[in-house]
Amino acid sequence: MIKNCMKTKVFSIPSTATIRQAAALIVERHIGLLPVVDEQGKPVGIVRLGDLLSLELPDFFKLLPDFDFVHDFGAVETNRPSPEELDRPVTTLLQPGIFVEETCGLLRAYALMIRHNLHDLPIISKDGALVGIASRVDISTAILTTWNTIPSSTP
Amino acid sequence: MIIQVATSLIFITSLWLIFSEKLNRTITGLLGAVLMIGLGKLLHFYDEAHAVAAVDFNTLGLLLGMMILVALLEPTGFFQFLAVWAGRVSRGRPVVLLVLLGTVTTVVSMFLDNVTTVVLIAPVTILICEILGVNPTPYLMTEALLSDTGGVSTLVGDPPNVLIASAAGFSFNDFLTHALPIVVVAWLSAMWLLRYLFRRELAVRPPNADVVLKLNPRESLDDPKTARRVLIVLCAAILFFFLEEPLELSPAFIALSAAAIALVWVRPEINEVLRRIEWSVLVFFGALFVMVGGLDASGVLGGLVTLLEKLYAIPPVLFGLVLLWFSAGLSAFVDNVPITIAMIPVLQGLEAHGVNVQPLWWALAFGAGFGGNGTIIGSTANIVVANISERTRTPITSKLWNKRGLPVMLATCLVASVLYLLLYPLFTH
Repeated sequence: MIKNCMKTKVFSIPSTATIRQAAALIVERHIGLLPVVDEQGKPVGIVRLGDLLSLELPDFFKLLPDFDFVHDFGAVETNRPSPEELDRPVTTLLQPGIFVEETCGLLRAYALMIRHNLHDLPIISKDGALVGIASRVDISTAILTTWNTIPSSTP
Repeated sequence: MIIQVATSLIFITSLWLIFSEKLNRTITGLLGAVLMIGLGKLLHFYDEAHAVAAVDFNTLGLLLGMMILVALLEPTGFFQFLAVWAGRVSRGRPVVLLVLLGTVTTVVSMFLDNVTTVVLIAPVTILICEILGVNPTPYLMTEALLSDTGGVSTLVGDPPNVLIASAAGFSFNDFLTHALPIVVVAWLSAMWLLRYLFRRELAVRPPNADVVLKLNPRESLDDPKTARRVLIVLCAAILFFFLEEPLELSPAFIALSAAAIALVWVRPEINEVLRRIEWSVLVFFGALFVMVGGLDASGVLGGLVTLLEKLYAIPPVLFGLVLLWFSAGLSAFVDNVPITIAMIPVLQGLEAHGVNVQPLWWALAFGAGFGGNGTIIGSTANIVVANISERTRTPITSKLWNKRGLPVMLATCLVASVLYLLLYPLFTH
């Protein structure tokens, strides 16, 4: 069960916060994913590092599959979001996210992360409250730990 | 009378559906075509055999052949290579970059499909502008406007030209002697005007212009071997287009032969190549032929011919100019392909009544070609560039197009009108 390997100290941000506040919390806590919660503490979605950085990525990133031939990004390197962009509500970058219940099996959790390319998986209780978060390494190592119980094939 | 009203209604409703974007143009075309045949069978004026005869297979064959060549060239990175090369050679000087990107896009779209050219060059243009730290809008609009303008100069440059050439029996060389000189002047005027209209944006010197010198065009070419093979075949095809008359070969035969040879030489995964063919365009053309065939069989176009014949009392040169501006005005708002396909039987009808329609064909080519520059929806290249820009921080709006594109359309049509007037004797034979 994912409950046994999750971190219970989970940072979240209210849906009324700004993008600037979300970025500050992500930097302060050195985390990759921030669940966004409503007044009741129930998650309404997530904001990831990548969602914040998409404000800086050049437009050609979306349009060109291959840009290996560009050895210097030039003016793009100094792209910074405008003050107006940073003071917009964090909900403008909100992603629906995938939340699993505490009772979720480890392999299901792992498979979901691989399929949806997630690095962290927020975990909710039966009544929908945010209770923890588990990284891909947390879940993978928890699965690998069970290999200790497999007896050796050579006597 | 009922037949004429009903067929006109089908045709006008289809044009309205396409114009208002209520229904995709290919779906509309198919629906219109089957309605036309259904009505024809019911009232005994048009049937399946007539419909098949109405399809111009020379146009479809030429388009298919050229589409296969483009589909082979597309994944090689050749278009990307050209844009990166233009960026490097410009050394980050805005006006030089504008002229080079505009020229490259024009030259390529004189021989290959405008839309593919623009679709593949626009993202690299955005890249060059972003690393230079300049607004890509002037460059993107220039590419769309100049590729449409340049496309008028050759038989294979623009679908209306393919249609006109096939209907009027014009050869590749006819376009080089009649259309190219006018297009060169119109193109230069358009370039000069764009340089003026975007003078404010182009006055900004990029702070680190040297960054484009670090771009390596060779690295941006993914598959040089295939690109070389397809380009050799393409050049050979163009050579044969020149010799089309003495060798008595149709453009469709040349294009399809080139496609077959290129396919044998490159030996690609054929399903992947066929997936890149714009079948919707071919089906749309086919359906329009069938629809206009029904319109013709019902006698609507004949009636229009009789009406136009009376108007032909006015000097023929004036008639040509009216046709040029009429088709340009329509093409600014509606796809120029249905307009051209609808005009063809009318001009052929006039010819059957003994009118010299040669100058009218050229007027139609200039009007339908240059007219598309007028609005953001005037040509597919415009629509595609606008769609790409919508995914960036600097979207091109319809209002902006009216400010920058419309003057270009008016200028090119004006240049074409003046030259048409001056060189009128050239167009009469």
